[in-house]
Amino acid sequence: MKIEKKNEIIMAVIICVVSIVLFAVMFMQFKTIEETDITAIENMREAELRTAISEWKGKYEATQEQLDTNMKSIAEYRETIEKNEEASDLIDEDLKESNMLLGKTDVTGEGVVLTLNNTDNYTVTYSHLLELVNELRYAGAEAISINDVRIVMTEIVEVQLRMMVSGQRISAPYVVKAIGNQTYLSSTLSLKDSGFIDRYQASGMDIKLETSRNVKILKYNGEMNIKYMKEVNTES
Amino acid sequence: MIFIAIVIGCILGAIIGIYAPLVPYTYSGYLAIAIIAALDSVFGGLASTVKKQFDLKVFVSGFFGNAILSMLLTYLGQKLNVDIYLAAIIVFVGRMFNNLAIIRRYYLEKWTNRKKEVANTEKTAQ
Repeated sequence: MKIEKKNEIIMAVIICVVSIVLFAVMFMQFKTIEETDITAIENMREAELRTAISEWKGKYEATQEQLDTNMKSIAEYRETIEKNEEASDLIDEDLKESNMLLGKTDVTGEGVVLTLNNTDNYTVTYSHLLELVNELRYAGAEAISINDVRIVMTEIVEVQLRMMVSGQRISAPYVVKAIGNQTYLSSTLSLKDSGFIDRYQASGMDIKLETSRNVKILKYNGEMNIKYMKEVNTES
Repeated sequence: MIFIAIVIGCILGAIIGIYAPLVPYTYSGYLAIAIIAALDSVFGGLASTVKKQFDLKVFVSGFFGNAILSMLLTYLGQKLNVDIYLAAIIVFVGRMFNNLAIIRRYYLEKWTNRKKEVANTEKTAQ
């Protein structure tokens, strides 16, 4: 009798628990369905959205990777640009130097100014000027001008008793400017017996030599064309 | 006594269910199939009670076992892209109807028997 009663109680408790579980789950489900009814469509598309998200994530990652690689290449390009800039700076400097040497720019620096003038019994001829220019070059002059006409390719001729320098007519007095080592230039020119000044002053030419810290020589204003010469191709 | 226990359990369960947190929609499918399995067990239990064959162990193990198994099968079906839960529902609901039929027949028999008895007693009284 007692055991039966006990069994009955146990059974009742277990069935109670079972029904609690059943109803709890059922009501949870009811509530869930009721609540999610409005947003059911969105929820049903959850899986779809999830795949879309993962897809976008993948895309994002791919794009990120590409961005990284692009950044890297940009950095590389920057580096090369910098290098190129350095190179172009060097080239620029080179060009400037060449232009200066060629006489395409106005230049200034220490040097000498010679003034040659005709006297009653002596005329300055083109050969004198040629000789002078030659001597100046020999003495290390970097830039020479006669009456502000730049001597680029030494071209001094006499046409119908008129002096032509680089295709421009000049007349006395001839002012020859040269930039170079001051002392070297002046000493070369005024060497005893063999120097230009000594030789021609004795003949009666009017020569004045001035040294200056700041000789200004204008640029060559003619045209320089290359028609026939070509660079030798060293590769072949 | 058992009847009282069932009523108390129902009320308590309803209260707990109402105040329980929401289940995400994706998992509510599993919950639904579990509920169907549990209900099947309940009806099976009722039928066996009617047949006087009720066994508590069988009932409880069936109640929880079926619920969990059906959830697992549903999960497997989702992984395989096969709607296994449909098969589970068909089986469970079919059994539920079977059990209901058993219960119905039992009570119908009881009712008709009583009617007959009443008629018999009336006859004998006359």
